[in-house]
Amino acid sequence: MKRPASNMKIHIVLTGRGQTRGDQLPGHIELPENSHVSDALAALMAALPEGETLPESCLLVVAGTHLGTLHQHEDPQLVDGQELLLLAPMAGG
Amino acid sequence: MMAMAGVGHIIIAHGSTMISPDLNRQVLGSEAVLGKPRATHFAEYLRSMNRFVEVEALDHEPDDEEARELARRCDLVLSCPPTFEERLRLNQASVDAGIPFIDAAQWGVSGTLVVLESPRTACLECIYPSVPPFEELFPVVGAISSTIGSLAALEAIKILSGTGEPLWGKMLSYDGYRGIPTVVSLTRHPDCRCCQEAVETAG
Repeated sequence: MKRPASNMKIHIVLTGRGQTRGDQLPGHIELPENSHVSDALAALMAALPEGETLPESCLLVVAGTHLGTLHQHEDPQLVDGQELLLLAPMAGG
Repeated sequence: MMAMAGVGHIIIAHGSTMISPDLNRQVLGSEAVLGKPRATHFAEYLRSMNRFVEVEALDHEPDDEEARELARRCDLVLSCPPTFEERLRLNQASVDAGIPFIDAAQWGVSGTLVVLESPRTACLECIYPSVPPFEELFPVVGAISSTIGSLAALEAIKILSGTGEPLWGKMLSYDGYRGIPTVVSLTRHPDCRCCQEAVETAG
């Protein structure tokens, strides 16, 4: 089915620690045009199973650019087709 | 990899002993050295690979002051400890010493590699302004540890030899789950507690 012209599609990827939890997240979300990263995150949090959260230290990356962490980040406007990468910090020696 | 390439002086600073869960990824270990200090054994192993390389072993985790002293004797710091507290300590020591800092990490089948040199790039604390939680037991496949460790050694060799273009200010994330590498340009945190002074001094 064709998407409404006013919507944009944002691809979602969770990688790093606990990345298998990415199966709980949608592979993409649809947002109204001119939406920002914070709108995408709000939609994602709503999609998580009840009681589940993502780590606040998760890095946010859009179009190869690091925006900060889930806790504190820049909030640029998204463009149709972009990928929102959530990178949960890894350690492990 | 660094010893094989002829990096002339290596200091291994790491506490604790070899335990069986290490054997899934620590290629310098073996059943024969379970219970022995890792740093001492790894140093012996590296010396056996290249007699021209000088290897020092420190059998404990350095505290802040000792990390700073060690960093002042080095041309770069390669970080791969289990906790973020230790990684951030090594980051601080490298910022204070004004030397490059390479951080390698893994989880499951994925890994990250970060190459920094504050103040001209972000530092590790810019990326992780609050310490991510520690996970004592976590899944990891040795193939990703070896891959990310080898790439970290490659970046170190490039920097030390002035060869190629190191991944300055970038994170290479390899998502082994999907088989997709991503390079991320890292940005400075404007109020970073760790590197703010170095940035201001550099102007």
